[in-house]
Amino acid sequence: MVRNEKISARQFGILVALYSIGTTILIVPAVLAEEAKQDAWIAALLGVGIGIVLVGLFIAVGSLIPSMSLVELMEELLGKWLGKAVSLTFIFFALVTASELLYFVGNFITTQIMPETPMQSINIIFACVVVMGVRLGIETLARSAELLFPLFVFLFLVFVIFVSPEVKVENIQPVLEADFKDLLRAAIYFISVFSLPTVVLLMVYPASVNRPNEAKKNFFSGVIIAGVTLIIMIALSILVLGVTTTQLQIYPSYSLAKKINVGNFLQRIEIVMAGMWFISIFFKLSLYFYASVTGLAQTLNVKDYRFLTLPLGVVMVALSMLVHPNTLHSFEYNRETWLSYVSTYGLFLPLLLLGVYAFRRKGRQDMATSSNETKSE
Amino acid sequence: MAFIGILAIAGIIAMAEVPRLRRKGHKKELWVFMLLLLLGTGISIAESLSVKVPNPIDGIAYLYKPINDFIQGILK
Repeated sequence: MVRNEKISARQFGILVALYSIGTTILIVPAVLAEEAKQDAWIAALLGVGIGIVLVGLFIAVGSLIPSMSLVELMEELLGKWLGKAVSLTFIFFALVTASELLYFVGNFITTQIMPETPMQSINIIFACVVVMGVRLGIETLARSAELLFPLFVFLFLVFVIFVSPEVKVENIQPVLEADFKDLLRAAIYFISVFSLPTVVLLMVYPASVNRPNEAKKNFFSGVIIAGVTLIIMIALSILVLGVTTTQLQIYPSYSLAKKINVGNFLQRIEIVMAGMWFISIFFKLSLYFYASVTGLAQTLNVKDYRFLTLPLGVVMVALSMLVHPNTLHSFEYNRETWLSYVSTYGLFLPLLLLGVYAFRRKGRQDMATSSNETKSE
Repeated sequence: MAFIGILAIAGIIAMAEVPRLRRKGHKKELWVFMLLLLLGTGISIAESLSVKVPNPIDGIAYLYKPINDFIQGILK
């Protein structure tokens, strides 16, 4: 595998932030409002807290053998054949999720912005940009993230400032009304979208980061930045739209942007605000796609991953038209199957790798001590 | 009509990559490339002709259904 590509710790932090915001910012407020009503923001707070613990888990897995990506680590720890088999399912996971995100992009644009354009054309154009980005490499992606992040922050601040006059405090009262189980269910859904997919970033960290130790801190701060952004977004959705409207929307934050009205003059600027989501979804999608492409290259032991981008891009576009026949299907999948599917890779796989590593090291130590004993005898 | 366009795109992609891979003598890469391109083009053409293609996500949902029901049961 070509290993000369390195990104800085700062760039990694920005990638983490944009990746975690990803699609979460668009779809999560509706489900959280449905589960936890006006306490959705508390559920998000809880979710971010657990998310930070999960980052600790991912860092622990990344630090086992810092020169290896997740796929190489699996092959090293689980053995050649089992490792390769698990890697292939991981690559499948990354590719299917990438095409699902592409479906979201297409669905968002065709239902909200350009209803008469066929979804295929939007998916193909967006996929072209993603394939181009991944082909140019993680360095280029990271640098463009560094460049676009200030724009993201600017749009977000403008959004918050312009929406805040519409806030009605009554909408979140009474606080802490939801019972604990509802809150927990909402928080678990939040984690499944916000922090468990972060395992995909182990394809970048620590092998492609130039100072992995410094990047640990940035991993945490990236997740915290993303978490705060999302909590603000969820709180605003409920404060401005109210619980009922929020839970009935597919994309509540987009409806929120439609509410912007400055002096009856600056109105309907939601498409400018949508730039924010295009940035974050682009990076999430690119990183998923990058993980599947480099993962496949590493599983097959080929030096350069670039030749895989175009054919896998075609597969991704084809799958994006296939994965969800309608919005209801995607809704059900995200509510029911997604949690257990992503936990397989986001929770059980890291724990399994840590366990196997500890077990093998212990075995090796036992062997070393017993061989020393035999020598001394 | 659509499948002519898909074939044309597949052809362009193959023309862009195959000579480079062949020049370097990467046999394995060439096979993987062709296989994936065939897969992608195949699914696309099937979709454009409205042939029913099995949905991988339905397979995942089927596979994970017992675990899902268990988790949903706890959380309900």
